Amino acid sequence: MDILTVIREFLHDRLGVDPEAITPETTLVELKIDSLMLVELIFECEEKFNVTFDRDTPTPATIGDMIGIVESFIVDAKAKSSTAAVPTPQQD
Amino acid sequence: MTRHRVAVTGLGAVSPAGVSGEEFFARMLAGESFVRLHTIDEQPKAVTQPVVRCDGFDPDALLGRPISSATDRSVQMALAACFEAWKCAGFERSERVVRPEFGVAWGSALGSHTTIERGYKEMWQNGRERLPPMSVVIGMSNAAASQISIQLGLANASLTYVAACASAASAIGEAYKRVRNGEAKLMVAGGGDVPLSYATMKAWEALRVVALPDETGAAGCCRPFHPGRSGLVLGEGAATLILEEWEHAQARGATILGELIGYGTCSDASHLVRPDPIGQVRAMRMALDDAGLGPDDVDYVNAHGTATIEGDAIEVASLCELFGARAAQVPVSATKSMHGHLMGAAGAIEAIATVLALRHDALPPTLNLDTVDPACAGVRHIVGGPLRDSGARVALSNSFAFGGSNAVLAFRKADAA
Repeated sequence: MDILTVIREFLHDRLGVDPEAITPETTLVELKIDSLMLVELIFECEEKFNVTFDRDTPTPATIGDMIGIVESFIVDAKAKSSTAAVPTPQQD
Repeated sequence: MTRHRVAVTGLGAVSPAGVSGEEFFARMLAGESFVRLHTIDEQPKAVTQPVVRCDGFDPDALLGRPISSATDRSVQMALAACFEAWKCAGFERSERVVRPEFGVAWGSALGSHTTIERGYKEMWQNGRERLPPMSVVIGMSNAAASQISIQLGLANASLTYVAACASAASAIGEAYKRVRNGEAKLMVAGGGDVPLSYATMKAWEALRVVALPDETGAAGCCRPFHPGRSGLVLGEGAATLILEEWEHAQARGATILGELIGYGTCSDASHLVRPDPIGQVRAMRMALDDAGLGPDDVDYVNAHGTATIEGDAIEVASLCELFGARAAQVPVSATKSMHGHLMGAAGAIEAIATVLALRHDALPPTLNLDTVDPACAGVRHIVGGPLRDSGARVALSNSFAFGGSNAVLAFRKADAA
């Protein structure tokens, strides 16, 4: 499932908003997402995409920002995964 | 200190009858039992009990999804009861005004227990490594009072009372004192509880005080004062009274539904579960003293009457001690026979029954009381239907809790001052 769909489903369940009304341009302020609900959204994304938000991760202003942050974590995770797969040269 | 009269200007009750206090009371007058058999088929073993559930309660419709998705069922019921009482008192929720002179006092024995239990299950049974981030604020004991304060803009005190089955009566009594003493113009007061989670029902089952289903069926199994009574029936719900300074209510043209005139509270300081007549009588006398009245002024008692073997007999003994030779003339009923035992909300829903009994001059009956246990004789039990046109002006509503907490509220008919 793509990131926008996950966010839409979460916000539909949590706030009752029409999923189609949520676009990358929609701001968190428009949706009345406060700091507490943002943590809920972060948890949802962490669990669905197996990523971890650091405490110093910038606060997103829009849904597009949120998608961008999750995408960057996914890319980072893939990079780490592929690096770990390269055999380490053995020194005899 | 100036002592203000305290008007009741709004009522709300979440029950199987909906959210209206009047509708709830109409069903009590009709002698309708809300009790049904309920099974929770959980591991390791299913539990089945006669209980009162509000199956038609729809938090999404009543509160909106942003609130309902972030609150425990007990808080949802609390908010629904308060919204109804707020409307009944003539206020608009859309005003979004923050009022420093209005506050909330809420009672709950169990708080957000259902959410907490679900969290334990997720961790220890389902292996979930972390809990949802809202767990703390949904589960905290003052969640209901906090939400009520925020949603209604109540910026005076936001207080939570935990006194088992006397929680709501304590909250109402303490709220009354704030209005009476001029510390608040208005207090939203009441209680809410949902004691129907798996572990809660199991815990009550273990205590061996829950009514057993018998040949009379679930609706007939809660029998306060009856020789065949086998215990209480757990019920979920919430109830709210708007307590308002008399002059404030008059000035804004509010309908005054009744008057809260006295409050007595004390502790038995003797035993966790065995009630003590000394404490009960003391609490009733304190409420009457506070009202400036005596036992001879009481026209009706809404008894705690849970239908336990010991509790009912001790309460009647206390009433006989209080009223003396007049006891046999004082009408008494236990409405728990119909709406069940709402735990921390019991004192609030019974306060509503008491206020409306005086308002309509119709005293609700004790259901299923075709025979009075000799151990519970000595007062005038209301049986076979409501007692109408008795001219009742003053009534007591008793709450006597596990742990020994006693809380008694004294009400007067609105036009009987």
